[in-house]
Amino acid sequence: MIQLILILAFGALCLSSLYFLARRTPRAEGGSGPLVEARQALQALRSGLLPPELIARIFARADLEYVLSEVPENVRPLFMEERKKIALSWVNQVRRQILLLRRFYLGSARSYARLSFRTEIALALDFAALLFACRALQVALYVRGPFAVPGMVETTAAVAARVCKVYEESLAFLSPAQLGALADRSAGAARL
Amino acid sequence: MPRRMDVQQAAEDLRRRTLSEIPRSLDRLIYLASMRDYNTGLYYHDGLASRFTQEVACEALADCHREAFRDLVGSPLRGLVCQMEGYMDSTHTSPGEFLTAWKKLEPYRVAVPVETDPLSAEFLFSSFKIALAILEARLRPAPAAPDA
Repeated sequence: MIQLILILAFGALCLSSLYFLARRTPRAEGGSGPLVEARQALQALRSGLLPPELIARIFARADLEYVLSEVPENVRPLFMEERKKIALSWVNQVRRQILLLRRFYLGSARSYARLSFRTEIALALDFAALLFACRALQVALYVRGPFAVPGMVETTAAVAARVCKVYEESLAFLSPAQLGALADRSAGAARL
Repeated sequence: MPRRMDVQQAAEDLRRRTLSEIPRSLDRLIYLASMRDYNTGLYYHDGLASRFTQEVACEALADCHREAFRDLVGSPLRGLVCQMEGYMDSTHTSPGEFLTAWKKLEPYRVAVPVETDPLSAEFLFSSFKIALAILEARLRPAPAAPDA
């Protein structure tokens, strides 16, 4: 009797393991979804959020000086409000993309790239510093406005660019052509 | 897929023959956006298509459109206000009507190239909004506060 119960329990355990394995989504470790997502996040940071000329335009002191010296006073609040909105949007988007990269790093990076222990530690520290810097910058922009903390903006952008560089080097084996193939495979897996 | 070299040649041709006559980036952005079919997103220019091919002309127009957009995003606020003032004068409508229409309809929102990164577009729209407010404030100065 005890043997029968043990066999039944073992069978139930096997069945439930099979059930959970079958329910794993293609996004789980080893799937190409997170990798494509990480590459897209890198692309968004590189071409949309971190180009120095765009950052320089958003936080341009020359615009502030122009508004303070040559523009009717009643327009100043609108200018400050609009630039604050854009500055906050910039830092929010940088933070969101960094979170996507970190998710990939924590979940799947080891499946794709052989990161050295040193690189892993450096990335972990950079992620922690960057996410803290983004939060601090959000608060500073909200409280003090978009032109009060140029040093923090510069530091945040520099650390984000460094994280992108380390990431790109770690995933250099993945050319755009391979990425396209992976995206197709990922879409195919999602349809199934 | 048209060859990159053909596209560059066609873009150069377009810059030399047509865009050199349109000195402001804002005017170029609006002109090039008007060459685009809103249903398909494809650009059409008969003259350019007859010298090259339709596909090459389309790519060249898209390249020049992106270039005008980048120029405008990189322009300081003072420059953007000047461009808008110049454009407003060139339309021969009354400044009041122009400003009211642009504030209400925000026509610049449909003038950006496709696949523009969202933050750059958001930044340009915001700068247009500020530039319009500056022009309006100059046109209709706020009444002076009464003396205490």
